[in-house]
Amino acid sequence: MTGDVASAEQPAVELDAVSRTYTRGEPVYALDDVSLTLARGSYTAVMGPSGSGKSTLLNLVGCLDTPTAGTVSVAGEDVTALSAGQRARVRGQEVGFVFQTFNLMPRLTAEENAALPLVFQGAARAERTERARDLLDRVGLGDRTDHRPSELSGGQRQRVAIARALVTDPAIVLADEPTGNVDTETGERIMALLDDLHAAGNTILLVTHQRSIADRAERIVRLRDGEIEGIDAVDPTGAA
Amino acid sequence: MDAAESLRLAVRSIRGHKLRAALTALGIVIGIAAVITFVTLGASVKAEVVGQFDDSPANRVFLVATPSDDGGPPAALSQPVFTEHDVSRIGEIEGVDRVVPRGTIATSALTHGGETVARDQVTATTPALFESVTFREGDAFADAGSGAACPAEMVVTPSAAALFPGNLSVGDQVSITQRGNRTRNVTVVGVLGDDAGLNPLAGFGSQPRFYLPTCAYDTVVTSPTTGTRQNVFPQVTVVAANPGDTAAVQDRVQDYLEAESDATQLAPGSYEVSARTNEDIVERIENVVDRLTQFVTGIAVISLLVGAIGIANIMLVSVRERTKEIGIMKAVGATNRDVLQLFLVEALLLGVGGALLGVPIGVAGGWVAVTYAELPLTLPLVWVGAAIGIGLVVGVVSGLYPAWSAARVDPIDALRYE
Repeated sequence: MTGDVASAEQPAVELDAVSRTYTRGEPVYALDDVSLTLARGSYTAVMGPSGSGKSTLLNLVGCLDTPTAGTVSVAGEDVTALSAGQRARVRGQEVGFVFQTFNLMPRLTAEENAALPLVFQGAARAERTERARDLLDRVGLGDRTDHRPSELSGGQRQRVAIARALVTDPAIVLADEPTGNVDTETGERIMALLDDLHAAGNTILLVTHQRSIADRAERIVRLRDGEIEGIDAVDPTGAA
Repeated sequence: MDAAESLRLAVRSIRGHKLRAALTALGIVIGIAAVITFVTLGASVKAEVVGQFDDSPANRVFLVATPSDDGGPPAALSQPVFTEHDVSRIGEIEGVDRVVPRGTIATSALTHGGETVARDQVTATTPALFESVTFREGDAFADAGSGAACPAEMVVTPSAAALFPGNLSVGDQVSITQRGNRTRNVTVVGVLGDDAGLNPLAGFGSQPRFYLPTCAYDTVVTSPTTGTRQNVFPQVTVVAANPGDTAAVQDRVQDYLEAESDATQLAPGSYEVSARTNEDIVERIENVVDRLTQFVTGIAVISLLVGAIGIANIMLVSVRERTKEIGIMKAVGATNRDVLQLFLVEALLLGVGGALLGVPIGVAGGWVAVTYAELPLTLPLVWVGAAIGIGLVVGVVSGLYPAWSAARVDPIDALRYE
């Protein structure tokens, strides 16, 4: 980070003419020439039917996958040129994942799960604990730090996952159907939490197939067959 | 990720599967315990056997005729090749104080006061054997001397005296039944002290022994040098006048044996007549015991190998089972190296844990074996340390492939894995 001014100007994520092709007998274009910029502090939803390339887009931004063509920049850094080890570092520092199935480590407590990304950054124990407790407080789980995932409800697990996603203060939070595995009421609370995070200045990329969920974002990117079909701005006054 | 952190996480995942981890480590426990047990037993046998020889004074040179390629205890296999002519010639060699020949007389039984004890042999030797040896009672028998009548006298060790009820003592009459039912009546003239040397080559040892003068000896041969019939002995001990000269005396005796002795001419073709010091013999015995120990330990190492395969197997299962966890860790920033390290540390913990448990069990096993064999316990401490090292190596080697395959897990596939 070179300072607040530079980081404010720089987009959180930039995809430039990105294609991702899989070869399964014949080539499959999972993403075809997609360009997209996510400004810092923005809240973007990606919608589309299954097979439209939503997951591929998420994996590319999250440095889990590399494009066949084009470049992906995260926090100003071209991640397509990086080695596997360097991409792991970017993943740990600049990207926070929130999954549909929570994906918590079953044997670790809420606090240890939230602190896990910092473990791989080599952060000191005291710092990790403080940071994880702080974030669990923010997501309303300050009294559940010693519980294991099996002792938590679905909504609580997802909040632990959100705390984990935020623990390294990433450039972008990637939320993949975050309400897909919880009931409507709990889903509403998780969406409210994402609203809060957005209000607090976090950049969010949300993948969903539900229009009502996508409407919480500032804009909606519609994907179809690996291409951007359209980008709609959401009228904030129209939101519930 | 630092080492302490991966250690913590590895301990976590081992705790998550306590029974499985315990059974996996059990393979290593058994392997290490078996190795330590056998090595302890070997070291104890060696210390005991060698200890007996160390009791022997440094000025002894032992003459034996044994198979040339033999590495074993020489005395037991020695052939009777040393004639009286050799004994007297060696006695004239510079630096030699005295020469003590020994041979065995085949017997079937010894009788005293109506009590018969079965013995298959008694020892024939000269009074020189008993020089500087303490007697509990009485003294050595008279020198056989040439021409004089053979003294009907016998010296016994304390354990030999104890074979008879009420113990043999000086003045007791013993009737010895030799091979061919010939009977020889002797009088006990001396009982050795309890502290007489234990060196089996020096002739005492802890076993019961009966000593008769060489004139009672019945193994004779025609001396190739003199052409006369003479006694011929399987074992001869040369005592150097000065302990510092032992090596020089050994060389001179060896020269005589090779150049002009009856022994070399009488020895069968494949036999070697040699003069050996205590050190030579100790070395040979150590070699034999070492070889035996290595052989048995080799078998124990196989069980260690099986334990290592057990670790590799369970780690592979563990990698498969935790595919999703690996995906999560990678998604939150773990490098391939972090994942590799994590699984390697886990395998290493199983190996070292197994070794740490195996050491006390192995030591206990060694103690039981040694106690059963009535030997004093000698703990090979180097091996106890080595066991920990072996556990470490076994852990790393058996964990290497599973850890490598864990590191190569594709996070996208892994996160989808159920």
